[in-house]
Amino acid sequence: MVKKKIEVINKLGLHARAAAKLVKLASSFTSEIQISCEDENFDKKIVNAKSIMGVMMLAASKGTIVTLQAEGSDMQVAAEQIEALFNNYFEEGE
Amino acid sequence: MTTLSLHGVGVSKGVAIGKVHLIERNQQETREYQIEEHLLQQEIARFKIAISLARQQLRSVRLHIPHGTPGNIASFIETHLLMLEDSALVEEPVNIIRERQCNAEWAVKIQRDILVSVFDQMDDAYLRTRKDDVDHVVNRIQRILLDHGLEAHEVPDTHLEGCIILAEDLSPADTVMMQHHGIAAFVIEHGGPTSHTAILARSLGIPSIVGVKRALRYVDEGDMLIVDADAGVVLVNPDPVILEHYKQRQLDIIRYQTELIHLKEAAAITLDGIEIELQANIELEKDYSIVKKVCAKGVGLYRTEYLYMNRVAPPSEEEHYQTYIKTMEMLDNIPLTLRTMDLGSDKNSGTGYESTSISTSVNPALGLRAIRLCLKEPTLFEPQLRAVLRASAKGPLRMMLPMLSTLQEVRDIFSIIKGIKQEFSEKGIPFNTDLKIGGMIEVPAAAVCADMFAQYLDFLSIGTNDLIQYSMAIDRVNDEVNYLYDPLNPAILRLIHMTINAGRQHNIPVAMCGEMAGEPKYVRLLLGLGLREFSVHPASLLEIKRIINDSKVVDLEAKALQILNAKDSSFANEMLDSLNIL
Repeated sequence: MVKKKIEVINKLGLHARAAAKLVKLASSFTSEIQISCEDENFDKKIVNAKSIMGVMMLAASKGTIVTLQAEGSDMQVAAEQIEALFNNYFEEGE
Repeated sequence: MTTLSLHGVGVSKGVAIGKVHLIERNQQETREYQIEEHLLQQEIARFKIAISLARQQLRSVRLHIPHGTPGNIASFIETHLLMLEDSALVEEPVNIIRERQCNAEWAVKIQRDILVSVFDQMDDAYLRTRKDDVDHVVNRIQRILLDHGLEAHEVPDTHLEGCIILAEDLSPADTVMMQHHGIAAFVIEHGGPTSHTAILARSLGIPSIVGVKRALRYVDEGDMLIVDADAGVVLVNPDPVILEHYKQRQLDIIRYQTELIHLKEAAAITLDGIEIELQANIELEKDYSIVKKVCAKGVGLYRTEYLYMNRVAPPSEEEHYQTYIKTMEMLDNIPLTLRTMDLGSDKNSGTGYESTSISTSVNPALGLRAIRLCLKEPTLFEPQLRAVLRASAKGPLRMMLPMLSTLQEVRDIFSIIKGIKQEFSEKGIPFNTDLKIGGMIEVPAAAVCADMFAQYLDFLSIGTNDLIQYSMAIDRVNDEVNYLYDPLNPAILRLIHMTINAGRQHNIPVAMCGEMAGEPKYVRLLLGLGLREFSVHPASLLEIKRIINDSKVVDLEAKALQILNAKDSSFANEMLDSLNIL
């Protein structure tokens, strides 16, 4: 299993459009991919990275640290590409 | 006849007059009813057909996205399609139908309420409003279940041309289709400045007002409306006098815009014959075409941060050089003032590559940024300095250093430049030996000592945004304190005045390239305080020129000094108004 901690750095956070890009990318891999973060009460929320509603409901705003977990044959490349998407501001430029 | 007026927030400026077309969604009250066990399978099938029809509809909308639609509008459609494939909307309602033995509409409503309640609890205001996306998708499913089918306006149709659209809310799909119709204005009951409608309206340049609560209740199909988006007011069935007034205003706006375009060839010169240097601020390539359109005589601020953004390694000397050469060429070699990189503040803390020094400081505006970062990390900075020097051989280029706070910084940079010049001379690499180097005055410490900086630098340029923020000790994005962000505060005006006088005393030009310079209401005040160089966003350049060419500096000086010494802001504002109606 691959596990990575990634910071949300784009201005609007994991909003609908960014979430859509993430879900599309995640869905292109066969691995099981989960994303989790802690909410304000330190409760852990875990969602399936291939579900748009799940990712939107994570409500990860700018500055949130999310944990990415991938398990499967293409988990390495999946984790790398997803991390790159976050670090590339979801191709939104800010 | 009385005229009814409704109020909201103008999100895209302008005035429109026309007949209204209502888009009513009739949020049908959904009721729960029991489904007998042997009919459940049929109800589930009905739900699944609705989902697949909803997908088909959105795919067809996607096919009709016109060229030039803002990318973010188009991507909302994509998001909604993904939502129609998500188990939360596709499978959960099926479980609810089974468990409660209820109708599909009711199951969708229950699931919608569950999803929306999660969004309602979110802390982030932007993410919270994205429950709208859930509603747009859910409403589409419900309409199909209730057999309302396609919305009429989702089919391209011409009778809407010149109409004013009044709706409770518009979905991204609506806004995509609306682009075909030549709509005159949007009036929307819900929504704020970040809503789909606002984004679309701004990109199309259509006057729009959002947040006009309960408007549908007071307006009938075909009513005559005046939409004054500048004031955020909608007038319903205006009486002839008001209508005449607004028709006149529309004409004035058109006349004003043609008048401005005629000004592009004119010199910027006051009524008493003082020539003003009026230049443009640029950042990205898209600004270049506006610079040309308004015939700017020069660029007073060329921001270079974008070269460093969203990449894995900092740009090489050659990359800097090629970019600058290309920019100069594209702008037909007009004088260009290049600001060396101003990274490290909140606005751009995120370069993609590892920099040991760009840390996430609690207060980045006061941290290691701009010239401080440049001096600490020569590997980021020296390639840029070398490239600027090389490019200076190719055209009228000046260099400007951001965020100076001590003279030592100037000395340090001069000594680096001296070294590079020496190396270039030895190697025979061409550069302009007389490259002009100036500094931004945006730290109060530098403004107070502007006379000292003026002895070393070839020109000064006042950056008002940071100057105000640093002088008033406020974080501009903090809503609790941004009321203190006031360019008319005498402390700010004095710092500006001191800087202008320091330049005069040492015979070097002083420009202003901050937002204040491009704000029409401050132009006369700044002229009165002695400012002779303005650098503004190219889109407001002609408007600023019109004010300059309509001002007489001798009449402004005494009043400007009164504003400089005003002890309260209401007096300062009154004085400013009286200055502007001279």
